Amino acid sequence: MLQFAGFWMALATFCGIWWGHVGVRWLEARSPRIGPPMIVLSVLGIALNIYSLFAPNLTIAGIASIIGITLLWDAFEVYRQTQRVAHGHAPANPRNPRHAALLARPGTHATSVDLLDREPTGEPVVIENMAPFRPKKKVEAREYHEVQV
Amino acid sequence: MTWGGIALGLFSFGIIGFGFYWVIRMEYFLGYAWWPYPMALGILMVVGSLFVPDPGWSALLGITGGSFVWGATELKEQAVRAELGWFRFNPNPKPRPPFYKLIKKIPPPHL
Repeated sequence: MLQFAGFWMALATFCGIWWGHVGVRWLEARSPRIGPPMIVLSVLGIALNIYSLFAPNLTIAGIASIIGITLLWDAFEVYRQTQRVAHGHAPANPRNPRHAALLARPGTHATSVDLLDREPTGEPVVIENMAPFRPKKKVEAREYHEVQV
Repeated sequence: MTWGGIALGLFSFGIIGFGFYWVIRMEYFLGYAWWPYPMALGILMVVGSLFVPDPGWSALLGITGGSFVWGATELKEQAVRAELGWFRFNPNPKPRPPFYKLIKKIPPPHL
């Protein structure tokens, strides 16, 4: 008989990491303030870990704790994502007032261009030379010039 | 009250942290073209976990496998980060993985 505990844990781990990457980026880019999402993620994370202590079996307890601990870390990742946006390592959302303020700051490194949205070339990339970058969406030329390192 | 779930959660947290480490090292020394190998290793671990009778050991194997599958999807993005100067860039030629021509035909997955 097959043992599915490992399969469900693998799925929980993968989904936890996926949310930690894609979900946190999405959430941070749309939240005018980072405090509320950080609190919600922390409360959910703690609640899931408490539930795992009383779960009926190891599989459910493991899934709850894996997702719970991942959510607790994601609360911190929301803050780290704001730092990435400020440094231009993640795209700023001009429609988010917090990001718009970062983009308007003199000498900012923030950019609305997703610098990771490209294929590797095998060579170091000079940021000022934006030729290798092919953003999915059409980006105004003005935005290219905003990119500084 | 059972602490087994919390132990698995902490193990998952640790293995994800280790994932960041090996993704950076693997991309630096081997390059992102090796992505199918950690992916295959991860899938094998998850499939293997189905045949481990003990739920605890099965869980540990599954968590490790899930983390390796994710790491494989992260290698391409890590290569871009290194080229952008956000991580140390390795200027030396990187070894080609076995079945390189076949791997090149498959777009590297990323989240």
